[in-house]
Amino acid sequence: MKSKKYIYLIGVLPFLVVAFMYEIIPLIKIVINSFHPDAGGAFTFENYETVFTKLLYQKAIVNSIKISMISAIAGIIVAFFGARAAHQAKGKLHSIFMAILNMVSNFAGIPLAFAYMILLGNAGVMTQLGRELGIQALADFNLYSTNGVSLIYVYFQIPLSTLLLIPAFEGVRKEWQEASTLLGATKGQFWTRIGIPVLMPSIMGTFSVLFANALAAYATVYAIMMNSISLLPIQIAGCFVGEVKIRTGLGGALSVVMMVIMVIMILITNAISRQFQKGGKQS
Amino acid sequence: MTKKTDKGSTIVILLIIIYLLIPLVVSIIYSMFSNWTGIVPQGFTLKTYATLFQDHEFLASLGRTILIAIVPIVLTIILVLLALFVTVIYFPKLEKYVQIICMIPYTIQGVILSVSILSLYVANPTFLSNRIIMLIGAYCIIILPYIYQGIRNGMRAVNMPVLLEAAEMLGASRIYAFFRVIVPNILSAIVVSSLLAVGIIFGDYVLVRNLASSAWPNVQIYLYQAMKSDSMKSSAVFVVIMAVTFLIAAIVLYLQSREKKGKKH
Repeated sequence: MKSKKYIYLIGVLPFLVVAFMYEIIPLIKIVINSFHPDAGGAFTFENYETVFTKLLYQKAIVNSIKISMISAIAGIIVAFFGARAAHQAKGKLHSIFMAILNMVSNFAGIPLAFAYMILLGNAGVMTQLGRELGIQALADFNLYSTNGVSLIYVYFQIPLSTLLLIPAFEGVRKEWQEASTLLGATKGQFWTRIGIPVLMPSIMGTFSVLFANALAAYATVYAIMMNSISLLPIQIAGCFVGEVKIRTGLGGALSVVMMVIMVIMILITNAISRQFQKGGKQS
Repeated sequence: MTKKTDKGSTIVILLIIIYLLIPLVVSIIYSMFSNWTGIVPQGFTLKTYATLFQDHEFLASLGRTILIAIVPIVLTIILVLLALFVTVIYFPKLEKYVQIICMIPYTIQGVILSVSILSLYVANPTFLSNRIIMLIGAYCIIILPYIYQGIRNGMRAVNMPVLLEAAEMLGASRIYAFFRVIVPNILSAIVVSSLLAVGIIFGDYVLVRNLASSAWPNVQIYLYQAMKSDSMKSSAVFVVIMAVTFLIAAIVLYLQSREKKGKKH
C-alpha cells in the first residue's frame, strides 16, 4: 500500500519539470551569474561594485524606489477614500463602480502609455486644450519626464489598490463608529484612532503589492521614455536585449538588487502591520 | 440607517470614475475623428477601422496573440490539476511547496523572468533555444499564480476529499472520480482562471519583446510599432485591444457573480 502511494508522485513530475526549467533554475542561474564577470570566469563582486558605484545604476535604483514609493502612496490614499465610499455605497452606483474598477485594472502597459500620449503628450488633447484656454500647467506639462511617468503609474495603481482595499472595510464595524460618536469622537478622530489602525494590516499588504507592481513595471515606461530614463527594469532589459553583447553578470546583479528591494519592502510592511495586529490583541 | 449612498461617497466615486475613464474616452474619440487640434474634434470617420481590419499584419498579430495563449493555458491547467490532485490527496505536506512555486512568479514578474529564461537558454544547442518555446515556457510561469489560485479555491469550495471518499465508496477509483466528479465541479473556477490568464497574455509586452520580439510580433508589439508612425491607426488598434480586454474582464466578472449567487441559494 505504502509503495503504491509513491507511484502517484509521477503526477507532480510534469509540474516540477516545467517549474524548474522556466522558474527555479533560471532564477538560480541569474543569481549565480551576478557573481561572475560578463564574459565568464571566477567568482567576483565586480558586478555589484559597478551597480553601486556607477552613477547610471545608482540613479536607476533611486529613481525606481522613488517612483514606486510615490505611486504606491498616491494609490493608497485615493484607494482609502475610494474603498470607503464603495463600502458605503449601495445599489447601482456600487455595481457600476466595481465593474469599472475591475475593467480598468487591466488597463496598463503599452495601451495605457498610448492613451496618456494622446491625452498629455506634446500634441496631446489636454495639452492643446491648455494652450487654447491659457492654462499653463496643462500646456507646459511634460509627459516625457519622471513626473509624467509617475502620473501614469498612479493611474494604474488606483483601480488595483481600491479593489484590494474594499474587502478590508468589512472589518470596520458600523457599531464602533456609532459607539465612538456616542462617546463624543468626531468622524476624523474615529478614522485616525480606530478605523485606520484596524485597516493597517490590509493597507500595508496592499502597499507592498503596489510597490512591487510599480517597481517591476516595464512596458508603460519603455513606451513613453524608451531608454532615456534610468529605471531598474529598463537597465535590466538593456543588459540582455538590443545590445551587441549580452551582459549576464551586470544584468544579474541588477536583477538581484531589484528582488532584494522587493523583499525588503515586504519585510518592512509585514513588520509594520504586525505592530498593529499586536496592539489589537492586547487591548 | 438609510438605504441611500451618502453625498460624500457619491462624489468620491464619481470623481474616481471620471478620472479613470478620461484616458479611455479621449482615445476612443480620437480614433474616430480625422482632426483634433482645437477644442472640438472634427471630421468623423470610421475609415481607420476599415483599413485596419484589412491590414494583414494586424490580423496576423491578433491571430498570433490568440494562438500563443492557448498552449500555455492548457498546459498549465493540466500540470496544476495533476500536481494538486496528488498533493492534496496523497501528500498534503507537499502542498505548501507547490503553493510556494506557484506564487513566486507573482513577485518576480515579467522583466526578471524573461531575462533569466533568455540568459539560460539563448545559447542552448537544442530546441530549448527556440524563441517560441522560451515564450511558451515563460507564459506558463507567469500565469501560474492565477491558475493555481483558481483551481485551489475551486477544490476547497467543493470539499474534494469528502467527494472523493463518497465516489470511492460507490466503487469508483480515485483517478476516475477525480476526472469525472471533481474536475466537472470546478470547471467554472478553471474557466475563470483561464480567462484571467488570457487577459494577462493578451496584455503582455515585456515577455514577448524580450524573448521573441521579431519572431512572434503580437498585437502589443503591433501597437508599439504603430505608435511611432501613425497616431490615428494606433488609436484604432488601441480601441480593439481595450475592447477585447474589457470583454474578457466582463465575462470573468459575470461568471464570478453567478458563482456567488449560486452559492447563496
